Amino acid sequence: MKAFAFTLDPIDAARLAAPLEATAGGAFAAFEGRVRDTSEGRAVTGLEYEAFEALALAEGERIVLEAIERHGALRARCVHRLGRLAVGDVAVCVGVTAAHRAEAFAACREIIDAIKHRLPIWKKEHYAGGDSGWVNCDHCAPAPESRAAHFDYSRQMALPEIGAAGQRRLAESSVVVIGAGGLGCAVLTALAGAGIGTIRIVDHDVVQPTNLHRQPLYAQADVGRPKAIAAAERLAAYNPSIRLLPLVTRLEDANADALIAEGDVVVDCSDNFAAKFLVNDAAVRTGRPAVIASVYQYEGQLQVVRAGDGGSCLRCQWPEATRDGLVGNCEQSGVLGPVPAILGGLQAMEVLKLLLDLPGQLRDEVLLVDLLAHGERRLRAPRNPRCAGSCVLVENSRDGTPPPELEVTLSLAAAAAEGYRIIDIREPLEREREPLPLAGQQALPLGRLLEGELDLEPQLRYLLVCAHGVRSRAAAELLRSRGLENVWSLRGGLAALSG
Amino acid sequence: MPRVRLHYYALFREQAGRQSESLETPARTPAELYAELAACHGFRLSPSQLKVAVNSDFSNWDRTLRDGDEIVFIPPVAGG
Repeated sequence: MKAFAFTLDPIDAARLAAPLEATAGGAFAAFEGRVRDTSEGRAVTGLEYEAFEALALAEGERIVLEAIERHGALRARCVHRLGRLAVGDVAVCVGVTAAHRAEAFAACREIIDAIKHRLPIWKKEHYAGGDSGWVNCDHCAPAPESRAAHFDYSRQMALPEIGAAGQRRLAESSVVVIGAGGLGCAVLTALAGAGIGTIRIVDHDVVQPTNLHRQPLYAQADVGRPKAIAAAERLAAYNPSIRLLPLVTRLEDANADALIAEGDVVVDCSDNFAAKFLVNDAAVRTGRPAVIASVYQYEGQLQVVRAGDGGSCLRCQWPEATRDGLVGNCEQSGVLGPVPAILGGLQAMEVLKLLLDLPGQLRDEVLLVDLLAHGERRLRAPRNPRCAGSCVLVENSRDGTPPPELEVTLSLAAAAAEGYRIIDIREPLEREREPLPLAGQQALPLGRLLEGELDLEPQLRYLLVCAHGVRSRAAAELLRSRGLENVWSLRGGLAALSG
Repeated sequence: MPRVRLHYYALFREQAGRQSESLETPARTPAELYAELAACHGFRLSPSQLKVAVNSDFSNWDRTLRDGDEIVFIPPVAGG
């Protein structure tokens, strides 16, 4: 029995509690979080929860086990609802069995607090007026008046290359930003202002006084708070029309692919070589473009890795991952605030160029920027055919014959990590009733897909998903007969995933 | 002897105490040039830890230097 689980069905508290019974248990404490009918003075009609499941399940398990251990409880469990909930529904339920009431209450309290604070779970509130808004976490809800305020993109839409279509494309885009430090603050501010629909902010660190001079997203009162949360909160107040998903976690081998596959582009704003190579490798494996920058004192370097379409990667130039400690970082060598601000601005510029298909994109190049001498140097950095990284493997596998099977069996997170672009081909009503367990995927009803509304790129791999795998199989078959070889169907559809 | 133009970034700029310089060198390759400069400016990184670009292209360490080449030694940097 798992200590933490998600469910799409209504939570049955009695069923949750049954396995917690123990003869040594003199106390049983339970907590139920329910959907209330108002939020910050607005009438709420319902909620929608979504989670980054791969990460949340592991972290949720850890939270419950830690609480049992710390308080000497006997048994504990927590179940969290996902999907659409009505007012009064139970959203989360915690149960703890312990010898005495003090441990039971304390562990129960700690579990629910940690679940709310640490897990990547987001809720969308539906209001009586028919509108709705994402509330990233308890701290990130924008004030009601700012939520109502209008964020006007007309000055950027006036650019002939952008217009309404470009703005729509930005609103439908999803970007993952690794690191919310000096580079991250500039990147996040620019992307939030541009109206990128979904921005994930990944940073495990807390705000420190030494950060403030170059990280203007944070106030003095934020010192000691997780950067991802503080940044999301500030940006939500700045532009309430976008979705900000903070993740207080360290980028690691185990989560890099799944995290990076969540976005259309990943922006590396980390401050160490280990993280930069992790981002590079995961971007190569998942076929996502990565916009990578680094700063040193008065200078910076910028590179866009586009291994997904044959470009070079970080390891093409640096075959041996550079060790941290070889050259100084901001702490050891110092840095002037405008340097990461400018390099971060350049990163945001490359992201927008990529998403809007603007000219002049960096490709197979390293840009060196010297802000003392105002020198900019664009060095050609082509793919190294003997690259030790996996960009060459990507190329090779693309040259190979795709597996002939039409159907694949795997979780959506694994599919995303393996580089499949997931397309939900169900009708809008079906999607509303049962959202995909993996957020941020493309959705286009079958009919519109077959009419060619989406330009499927032959070099990418697509995974079609429907309720039971019947429509997606037929669609994949038809698209293959039209010459698109890299299209698969999820065997058994969503029903097989939840079963 | 070819006359080349050098541009320094990051710790090379610090260690050389300048952003660029022109010099005539007996070196025939970037590797020989780097050895010469490392001795003169006290560069501590070994060639395997950095990259060299000649005339805006990342280059091998053993290509032949020509008169007028623009050379950039690029150290890895990771600050964020």
